[in-house]
Amino acid sequence: MRKSILGLFQQPEPAADAMDGLKEAGFELGTFDVLTGTPYPEGAFGEHVPQHRLFRYPAFGAIIGFTLAVFLTSVTQLAYPMVTGGKPILSIFAMLIIMYEMTMLAGVIATVIGIVIESRLPNMQPGIYDTRITEGWIGVVITFDDESKVADAESVLNKAGALEIKHA
Amino acid sequence: MQQRRELDQVYTNRKLLNGQLDTPKWWLPTVSILGVVVLIGVVVIATMINKGLGVTGLARPVYWGLFITTFVFWVGISHAGIMISAILRLTQAEWRRPVTRAAELLTVFSLLTALVFPLIHAGRPWRIAYWIMPYDISRGIYPNIRSPLIMDPVAISTYLTGSTLFLYIALLPDLGNLRDRTTGWKNAMYTVLSLGWRGNPRQWKMQTVGGILLSALMLPIFVSVHSIVSWDFAVAAAVEGWHSTIFAPYFVIGAVHSGVSAVVTMMALMRWLWKWDDFIRPEHFDALARLLIVVATGWLAFTFLELTFALYSQDAPEIALREMQMFQWPWNALFIIFFLTAYAIPVPMWLFKRVRTNIALMFWTSILVNIGMWLERFLIIVPGLARRTPFVYTWEAYRPSAVEWTIFIWSFAWVTFLMLLFSKFFPLVPLFEQKESQVFTEDVMIGRAKIPAIIREAD
Amino acid sequence: MASQAVAHEAEHHAPPPNVDADVVTRELIATTTGASGRFKAWTWGLGILSVVGIVALILKFIDQGDDSTKWGYVAALVSFLLSVTGGAPMVAMAPVMAKANWVRPITRIAALFSFAGVATIIMLIPLVAILPPLVTEGARRRTVWYMAPDYSPHFWTTLSLVLLLITGIALFYSAALPDFASMRDHSTGWRQRLGKRLARGWVGTDVQWRTLRMRIGMFGSFYFLILVFVNFLVSTDFGQSMVPGWRDAIFPMYHTVSGFQAGVAGVVIALYFSRKYMKLEKYIHLDAFWSLGRLLFALTLLWIYFFYSSFIVFWYGRSENDIATLDLLIKGPMIYAFFAGMILLWFVPWWILIWNKVRRGTAMMVVGSFVILIGLLIDRIRTFVPAWSVPGDQIHQKWLKVIPETVWPDIFDILIMAGGISLVAFIVMMMTRVIPVLSVWQVQEFNLLAKPIRYMKGHATLVAKPD
Repeated sequence: MRKSILGLFQQPEPAADAMDGLKEAGFELGTFDVLTGTPYPEGAFGEHVPQHRLFRYPAFGAIIGFTLAVFLTSVTQLAYPMVTGGKPILSIFAMLIIMYEMTMLAGVIATVIGIVIESRLPNMQPGIYDTRITEGWIGVVITFDDESKVADAESVLNKAGALEIKHA
Repeated sequence: MQQRRELDQVYTNRKLLNGQLDTPKWWLPTVSILGVVVLIGVVVIATMINKGLGVTGLARPVYWGLFITTFVFWVGISHAGIMISAILRLTQAEWRRPVTRAAELLTVFSLLTALVFPLIHAGRPWRIAYWIMPYDISRGIYPNIRSPLIMDPVAISTYLTGSTLFLYIALLPDLGNLRDRTTGWKNAMYTVLSLGWRGNPRQWKMQTVGGILLSALMLPIFVSVHSIVSWDFAVAAAVEGWHSTIFAPYFVIGAVHSGVSAVVTMMALMRWLWKWDDFIRPEHFDALARLLIVVATGWLAFTFLELTFALYSQDAPEIALREMQMFQWPWNALFIIFFLTAYAIPVPMWLFKRVRTNIALMFWTSILVNIGMWLERFLIIVPGLARRTPFVYTWEAYRPSAVEWTIFIWSFAWVTFLMLLFSKFFPLVPLFEQKESQVFTEDVMIGRAKIPAIIREAD
Repeated sequence: MASQAVAHEAEHHAPPPNVDADVVTRELIATTTGASGRFKAWTWGLGILSVVGIVALILKFIDQGDDSTKWGYVAALVSFLLSVTGGAPMVAMAPVMAKANWVRPITRIAALFSFAGVATIIMLIPLVAILPPLVTEGARRRTVWYMAPDYSPHFWTTLSLVLLLITGIALFYSAALPDFASMRDHSTGWRQRLGKRLARGWVGTDVQWRTLRMRIGMFGSFYFLILVFVNFLVSTDFGQSMVPGWRDAIFPMYHTVSGFQAGVAGVVIALYFSRKYMKLEKYIHLDAFWSLGRLLFALTLLWIYFFYSSFIVFWYGRSENDIATLDLLIKGPMIYAFFAGMILLWFVPWWILIWNKVRRGTAMMVVGSFVILIGLLIDRIRTFVPAWSVPGDQIHQKWLKVIPETVWPDIFDILIMAGGISLVAFIVMMMTRVIPVLSVWQVQEFNLLAKPIRYMKGHATLVAKPD
């Protein structure tokens, strides 16, 4: 299991300095991260801005929903071909409504799945954490493949003013 | 308009989680009373299903009465959620923050309640399975997708599913917070529900981007739902007052009017009951009231158009219907009450800032609006049907029975009951949004004036 | 390398810097003078086309003034011009009421379109003369005027359009006072004299600023109400009322909302050309295109919503009336115009504007806007030409029994349409010679209220929100 340490700060500026310090000390992007109880403007901690593919999910979902809806509406009308109100058996304008709703439904469900996956959830072994993060503290977490770098990381955190360092 | 309040996160947690971490004294008695009303309602519904629809006042020609009116009413109330949550999120309005979750919740619960009405209205609800399932359950009968009565459940289910999922996704950070504040079985429950939320930049970015994306997807759904409900009436050529092209946007804007008013009612109650004076402030009511003025005036314009083009046709039955609606008892009294409560009393009052920032006045005017909007739906649905009296055998005019009124009251108790149950386990005000506003707002000095400012991220 | 890439990315995402107030004044006032050769050539060309269009209008009136069935294209043009020139000032009004900061630099260019309302009124004049009175051959046609005098549509539509023009100019003038003062102080020649006269002693006291804001709010609200009313009158009196049995309660709102769509498209086009050819990149930020793009996208989707809401009620109803209406406006003589209009007004703009990258840029935004304007013109032709093609002796029937044949435009119609559209562009371009194309004081206000900042290690914009 990989070792991690968590540096805790009460103010965001020292945490941002710690992130800078870790970059300068040669730690790879992706091995350290910042944990906050509230969103900050993007880039505020100088963090690596994550790339995401969220927009593909609703597109994919919409295509599936649309196809299903075309199938459902056409097959049900053709399976029991009854003229109602003088309308054609395949009433495209009426079908459009169900097609629209099912397209949107599938798009929304796919988007939600996308949000969960792109957030890298569910993560039932989330790793080192501190409950004070949701009380306004900022956590800087570093994960190590090589335990020899732990001391360097601790030194950076202390220099930036970490109030506590937890180990896992 | 926005007064910046410095509130630290510990205080925010303590105040906004007071429903989950403690139980307010009034909570249990209120929920118990509501629970009794809900139970009575369920018993009455069961009795009605057992005995048949004859226990209601519904009869030829008024086949749709209180139940359908209340159904449309609750679908209308549900439009608050997306209006406030999605539109205000997309326009980055800061004042939406305390309101979004409660509004989304109102959407979910009012949709659930709305769905009950067509089910019980069927008389034999289990038969619905035959004609709603796209499967050959019974002698080759399939759903008739050309019927708005099939489009309705599809649209409402889509909106309900979307809103519920949106609610859950936006709840994730607060579930993480609750996990951190609790122990025992509650901690276990929130740990599972929060899916391992940590609050790293990736997760926060997904909240922001995902929130905007979901808002953009839910908006077209929100417009379509009440439009489809309106087409239950508009596509019927045979009933006077129904066959009008304006019904779709008219119903949608009416729904926004009634829904946002319901949110105002709810916000006032939240502030008073949970003592959230620091979070739900007069400036929020001011902003909502200004939105309501615009929406209400738009609704009035649509009402004017609907009436104008009804008379435009110069059709004798249509004109006779309008005469009945506006000049014959008891419809004339209902019409006057409707107009006064939906627009003529509240909107002129809201033009004054002193009223807009007076929470008690906002509470009562918002209730007035919903009385008016319920009457509006009643006046659309019932008179058109009732006018067909000369052509069929009827024994008396439509009069809702005690059963219908009980179920009507049950619906209000049910929604409130669900909201209060929810509040026991999940926060009604999004904590992370409140905390976000602390981070994203600042005061800036321009000359000697201290002006509230917002930090906008660079694109 | 990694740090350079991060630094580059940070700079790329940094908001544009503020410009000093005196530079703003000098550069924006300078846009009223020094027109390029290309600008002059275009102005001349548009001016000549406008004159040709007006001459064609007069000749058409002399030649065909007794046959209302030949005036559908002029009616469509009036509706189109009303939509663009009436809808554009809404960009100057609605976001301002919503306290949006991004709109401040661009309100002037939107407000200038209200002057082009003159073109609408010029094209309306012969139409009012030719519009049949409410009672023809002893029968009264269906109308929103019920028992009002026979010439009510003529009078009230003309009056409301004139009122719209006046209110639009009042809205423009209310917001332009400080800029006329800037011209008084920094321009030369006739512009300086004009600025002095129109500034009316503006010096920028607290009372003057408060009065200015009050006037903008008042005229803005008034403008919106009149605009909706004008759309209601033009769409019913010059459209629906001409067709027996065409009862469409949503048509006035459909006309209004598609008008907003066209207005926003017009503003985007004007912004693009101003930004590119007057070198105003410092003042017209991509933020404006981003926000207008979202608005345009929403309005594009609203178009299909309003259209479908109307269509589905007729399609389900299937009375003789409903079927005749659908035949006239969609399936019959106007079927090609219907498909072209739908594709250009909805389908193509939808797939252009849906992309974030498009809305964050300018080129495809202006392509989308042009597509919308062409689509709207075709859609107006689709609704007004068949309406006017119903012979005068049939317009008071219960419903349309004989669907008229397709009416094609003649040379007069083509010249009139080209002239009318040219006149709008000509007026807007000429107004940029009179007053700065961007509002000087609002650009300065924008810079005062929105400042790029460093937020810890990132970039952000601090936007002040005074009440």
